[in-house]
Amino acid sequence: MKDIRETETSSGDEKGEGISRRDLLTAGGAALVVPFVFTPGGEGAKAAIVPGSGAVGAYIKIDTTNTVTVVIGATEMGQGILTGLSQLVAEELNLNWPQVRAEHAPASTLWPNPYGNPLFGAQLTGGSTSTRGWYAPLRQAAAIARDTLIAAAGKQFGGVWTLGQGGALRKGTSRVLFSSVVVTASGLTPPTTAALATTTRFIGKSMPRLDVPSKTDGSAVFGMDVKVPGMKFGSTIHAPVQGGKVKTMPATSGGARLYNLGTAVGVLADDTWTAIQLARGAASQITWDVPTDPNAADSAALAAHAQQLMTSPTASVFVAEVVGSPRIPPAARSIDVTYSLPFMAHATMEVMNCTANVTPTSCEIWAPTQGQQFIPGLAASITGLPADAVTVHTTLLGGGLGRKFETDYVAEAVNLSKQAGVPVKLIWSREEDFKNDYYRPSALIRVQAAVGSAGLGITNMIYRNVSPSINIQRGTLSGNNPEDTGAVAGAVGLPYRMGARRIEYVPLLPCDVRLGYWRSVGESYNTFAVESAIDELALVAGRDPMEFRKGLVGGTGGSPRSLRVLKALETLTNWSVPPPAGQARGMAFLSGFGSFIAMAADVAQSTAGQMVVKKVYCAIDCGVAVNPGAIETQIQGGIAHGISATLWGGMNFVKGKPQVQNFNHYRMLKLNEMPQVAVTVVPSSFAPGGVGETGVPCVAPALANAWAKLTGTRVRNLPFYPGATMGDG
Amino acid sequence: MATYTLNVNGQSQTVTVANGDMPLLWVLRDHLGLTGTKYGCGIEVCGACTVLVNGQPEKSCDMSVKEAVGRKILTVEGLAQDVDGAKAQAAWVAHQVPQCGFCQSGMLMSTVGEMKAGNHGSSIRPNNLCVCGTYARIKEATQTL
Repeated sequence: MKDIRETETSSGDEKGEGISRRDLLTAGGAALVVPFVFTPGGEGAKAAIVPGSGAVGAYIKIDTTNTVTVVIGATEMGQGILTGLSQLVAEELNLNWPQVRAEHAPASTLWPNPYGNPLFGAQLTGGSTSTRGWYAPLRQAAAIARDTLIAAAGKQFGGVWTLGQGGALRKGTSRVLFSSVVVTASGLTPPTTAALATTTRFIGKSMPRLDVPSKTDGSAVFGMDVKVPGMKFGSTIHAPVQGGKVKTMPATSGGARLYNLGTAVGVLADDTWTAIQLARGAASQITWDVPTDPNAADSAALAAHAQQLMTSPTASVFVAEVVGSPRIPPAARSIDVTYSLPFMAHATMEVMNCTANVTPTSCEIWAPTQGQQFIPGLAASITGLPADAVTVHTTLLGGGLGRKFETDYVAEAVNLSKQAGVPVKLIWSREEDFKNDYYRPSALIRVQAAVGSAGLGITNMIYRNVSPSINIQRGTLSGNNPEDTGAVAGAVGLPYRMGARRIEYVPLLPCDVRLGYWRSVGESYNTFAVESAIDELALVAGRDPMEFRKGLVGGTGGSPRSLRVLKALETLTNWSVPPPAGQARGMAFLSGFGSFIAMAADVAQSTAGQMVVKKVYCAIDCGVAVNPGAIETQIQGGIAHGISATLWGGMNFVKGKPQVQNFNHYRMLKLNEMPQVAVTVVPSSFAPGGVGETGVPCVAPALANAWAKLTGTRVRNLPFYPGATMGDG
Repeated sequence: MATYTLNVNGQSQTVTVANGDMPLLWVLRDHLGLTGTKYGCGIEVCGACTVLVNGQPEKSCDMSVKEAVGRKILTVEGLAQDVDGAKAQAAWVAHQVPQCGFCQSGMLMSTVGEMKAGNHGSSIRPNNLCVCGTYARIKEATQTL
């Protein structure tokens, strides 16, 4: 799988100019390669065509069978990015879909990183940025490749050639394949720009996903499925409480050697089951250094502390957005309400795992990862090897959801292989996975807001979010981000017309629960508070929730795209006609991730008095919709994820100890509970927006708003049904 | 160490393992290299490890290798050779069911098990866990079976 050698790591030119991509070379043969280097600011790129086989660090490879392989810096974790980005190349090169392949790029140690997302430079997949980042640059790269192939045909065969279909060039009735001019093309200097295709054979079409066949016959290789000759199977055990480090441990347990990995103890065996058994067996023989303050990782104690900070005059307050001096008038036309949300586990279907082969001169890693950028440096620090001796293969991910952005499990595999001197496939037990997550922060959010006397607008708002800070815990706050803007995402920059307002964030410190990025991050809690509050305000104003929102985004100074999406939802739901008897409809809206989304849910009550979600409607404007079918499935997925989180999700900690250890106590939506879903992808010619996370945030407020309408009970504390088990329902 | 002979996807396979209590799941994955069958929870809840044993869906995390002896085991790798299995696979492709795809081997095996039990269309309701929310597409796909 090693198919790239970058012979020079970097020119050191931080602007990205002067890095010669001609330094890329391969094992021989020839291929057309269109590599680009993007600067983090996204300013431009250099193109070059270099000799190589079908195995060069670049974006487009054409082999002798005329198969075109798109090499993709983003990670496929179910969202369909390998397919979507390949569609862009297929469009520019006028290919036929069966000749298109896609593969993950290797982790690059160059900076700027040729596989880094052009939006921010780093080779990471998250924040619903992959299509947003790659759409324009990858099309441009493919268009340059196209023009270079055309020029190569002219040089090789004479005359003026044009692009044909199916990986071919045409002159009159003559036709040559890309593969027959690739060698010539590799000797040309490509143009710096090229006109984009005006066809729509692929962009905007629900092309069949490239990864689907392999995901129906067992041949898809997830991290857990990697096979390396001579490998041992490993598993690890961690402290029973958050933040523990190995204090004492025996050299062996159950006849097997134990390996000290700092925050874990590892063991190797001839199969995973034996390794997991040995790791469990060793647990009682290990002692741990644990944090001194057990309340810093105790849900009840943290919640009490958050309540205190909510009203404390001495709390350390970051003001994330302020306009005027908001004042909240008493009652009648105002609300003063507080929402709370729990810590959440990611619970990806595929547990944390990684395969590593560390030798005295090399380190090869196979990882299901969203965080390639971090891995070469991390592995270098563990092994003592230079970063360019580290090779990273990205496998398919059995779900990412933000969890596989982290590298803790990669470090463990590398460390184990280094100490043992053999290739190691590390697989965590599900219990270790639940207990050692990077959890979505809990949040306590108070919204004080008032509507105008005509009930049309929001005149004043004071919003305070008290929650543990991912960035403070990681020490990654910088001059550019002193306020942890991620913590208030979904609460600032709202498209609603509002008067005076102050949006505050108070970090909940100390917090020893390990924190991370959970699908939709800040919006996963702030949108619940904002959109629940909007409905509560509409009630105070005596307005219909749809009309109220339309009024807040319409008119001069409004948000036309927001209004258009709200109207699309109005049409989709036939809003003026209520749902069937015994059901009620609630809605929510989000402008986020570069997209606009409105959602409505019809809910009913079961005989046991619990919520049943009957139907969910969604209208989304995500700019150019590269693959509408994939967008629909991402929305379906966001809805399922959102329902699970709203009704049952949550990880409780007692004195540092996570209380859920497996799926039996982490209730999630089942197939027979999946509501009908209707999705309208609003036609849009704006630049692509994000989709992967966009479907999650509106679910919780839409359900709570529907429930309030159905039952008169406003649920402000999630989940609806804490402590549910998979046996319920 | 003990040696067991298993019938997997129509072929006789011999494995030598330290413990006959080892779940079939890990024998398939780690000893026979059939990694299409997935580990999800290890406690019979999620269904990612579902295989067919004598035509019936079984969670392979809860069946020991010694129990599997003498029974016909079908995994996702052998699904195409089964009439119902090939139909289900084709429906999965036609309806573009998988997202991350990790649970789909188990989903398919449960679905085929239900087909073999005489279920069709909307009566096929695999009780496996999918975090991606492919349920909507699974309902569409199974409607055609």
